[in-house]
Amino acid sequence: MVKSKRLYEQQRLPDKRGYFGKYGGQFVNEILMPVLIELDENFDRYYPTSEFQEEFHRLQRDYGGRPTPLYYAKNFSKFIGSKVYLKREDLLCGGSHKLNNALGQALLAKKMGKSRLITETSAGQHGFATAMAGRVLGLEVEIFMGIKDIARQASNVKRMKLLGAKITPVKTGAGVLKDAVSDTLREWTSCSRTTHYLMGSTVGPHPFPKIVAAFQSVIGKELKNQILEKEGRLPDAIIACGSGGSNAIGAFSSFIDDNRVRLYFIEGGGGSLDADNSAAAFQLGKPGILHGALMQVLQDEYGQIKSSKTRAAGLNYPGRGPQICYLYDTGRMKVGYAFDEEVFEAVKVMCQTEGLIPALETAHAIAYMLNHKEEFYGDEVIVLNYSGRGDKDLEVITRRFYGD
Amino acid sequence: MEIKEKFRELSEEKEGAYMAHIYYGDPNEEFSLSQIETLVKHGADFIEFGIPFSDPTADGAIFQAACERALRNGITPPKCIQGIKKLRENLDVPIIVTTYYNIPYIAGVKAFLSGIKEAGAQGIIVPDVSLEEANPLLDAGREVGIHVIFQVTPLTTEARIRRIAAAASGFLYVVNVEGVTGARESLADSTLKLVNRVRKHSDIPIMAGFGISKKEHAAAVVSAGADGVITGSALGEIYQKNLENPEETLPKIARFARQIKQGCIEGYIRRLNAQNISYEEV
Repeated sequence: MVKSKRLYEQQRLPDKRGYFGKYGGQFVNEILMPVLIELDENFDRYYPTSEFQEEFHRLQRDYGGRPTPLYYAKNFSKFIGSKVYLKREDLLCGGSHKLNNALGQALLAKKMGKSRLITETSAGQHGFATAMAGRVLGLEVEIFMGIKDIARQASNVKRMKLLGAKITPVKTGAGVLKDAVSDTLREWTSCSRTTHYLMGSTVGPHPFPKIVAAFQSVIGKELKNQILEKEGRLPDAIIACGSGGSNAIGAFSSFIDDNRVRLYFIEGGGGSLDADNSAAAFQLGKPGILHGALMQVLQDEYGQIKSSKTRAAGLNYPGRGPQICYLYDTGRMKVGYAFDEEVFEAVKVMCQTEGLIPALETAHAIAYMLNHKEEFYGDEVIVLNYSGRGDKDLEVITRRFYGD
Repeated sequence: MEIKEKFRELSEEKEGAYMAHIYYGDPNEEFSLSQIETLVKHGADFIEFGIPFSDPTADGAIFQAACERALRNGITPPKCIQGIKKLRENLDVPIIVTTYYNIPYIAGVKAFLSGIKEAGAQGIIVPDVSLEEANPLLDAGREVGIHVIFQVTPLTTEARIRRIAAAASGFLYVVNVEGVTGARESLADSTLKLVNRVRKHSDIPIMAGFGISKKEHAAAVVSAGADGVITGSALGEIYQKNLENPEETLPKIARFARQIKQGCIEGYIRRLNAQNISYEEV
């Protein structure tokens, strides 16, 4: 156990080539290499400066509403049988953890002299956060979104438009996140001199997984202070949902080196555990290269990438970010999944116990706890990273419970 | 035929090289085979043989659609390799395979390169492998005897050009516009500058691609010093208008190939004349 701690500290991952163990790297066209090198250099130049940190923290605090509370969910705890805290990222302005990263990267883009942000979005949370960050920092915003997701996440589309972001529908492939990422990468190759690709999760070519993890690490830092203050000790476990892994990496960040804290990562099980009906890449995928990085990815026997499936648009990505893959491979993090049906039940439980409507993504972590109560003991303190609120999913949720 | 031999032959004939890029299996294998035959018969000196991938992030809309259709119609990498074998029965020009890295990665890089080598290919282009990630490909390529073709763009720094030129074999693929594949009406001036920048570091043959859709483009690029040109999506555009009966577009494809090749020849002569003039001045 001690050995593993040293492993993380000494290696200071990712390495210079952007690898977490065997995962990560820079699998991109030569057109993008100079801009990735420029981005890496500029991140290392600006991020550690007190000027950048002050500006970033001011934005997070005064504009975003940080720190977000750590809430002891007493009623929900009774259901589970152990003491459960919710890290309330749903209370960050915009309704999810996405704004942490969007503000950080937008600020970095501005320092780099870029005038425009492009990105993709599925649930619309990252797109909305980027639209906010672009507005507040005076950068133009264009968002690529799969046509299926545009239909599923109508309220977030309206919010992004209201903030003046240009929404570009992506019709290729299955019209979901995977296809939107591909289109954003294509767009970036034609405009990288003036435009920053504001990657929404801990995925993509190096240095994106590193940068997004750094900007989301605020969740874990706050969480550590808050739990020490409330409980006088570290939590026994932290549980988070994810696909690329940004909210999980953020929440785990201050605890990775400490093996006393169990880490749980819950992916989208979809309808059932078969590769055409799920987003559970740890269950059904294998290592492969997609969107610039080597990671666990859903694919067929020849290496053609499969479209993931889950009702939670924000988990509907066939790959797991390189750092998440590494944490799983090394045994540091346990992986679970929840099926769509279980997720809707979890929404109901959270509504009834705590009066909170969770995002369908967040409800995966809740569902896992409900279905695996035996893994959490009576005297344990568990933190669930409550990554987002469910307003965006209201129509899907109400249709599920009350019909049309 | 080896890549080097082809370039030697072309320089003896005083012609620029023409490489035609297709994605195999779009909309079906029979058409791809007759398309390649037509292209070679009417002027293509190299075939860039695309093995379709589900997420071709360095390709524009035309080739994205081509990959999607080909995969929907059941194309697989083994079928593509069979296709190369079939072509080799009566085709002599070098075949350069293009595909995205996950395809050889899943097959095993060395096994994949051996497979295409045995089928009759001479080189490989993997547009999502940067120099930084190229070692497995380079090692296997050397071992098996497959040239790994690298790309250079207007954004590539001098230091990178030098390193890429040192690792490259066969030829260098110069990407002459900032952007993904897609036909453009006019060529960026950066092409000419880029050819000159590469020439400072290497004598390796240079093929210029991305955005070449007219005889004039080919002539301009070759006269500026490129050893040849690559056309891609402009070809796709021709037959995609008639996917029910793509064979009907073969005459158009033949005409297109003749025009591009004519541009390569005219460009070469223009370059020779310019050189002669400067020799006379000296």
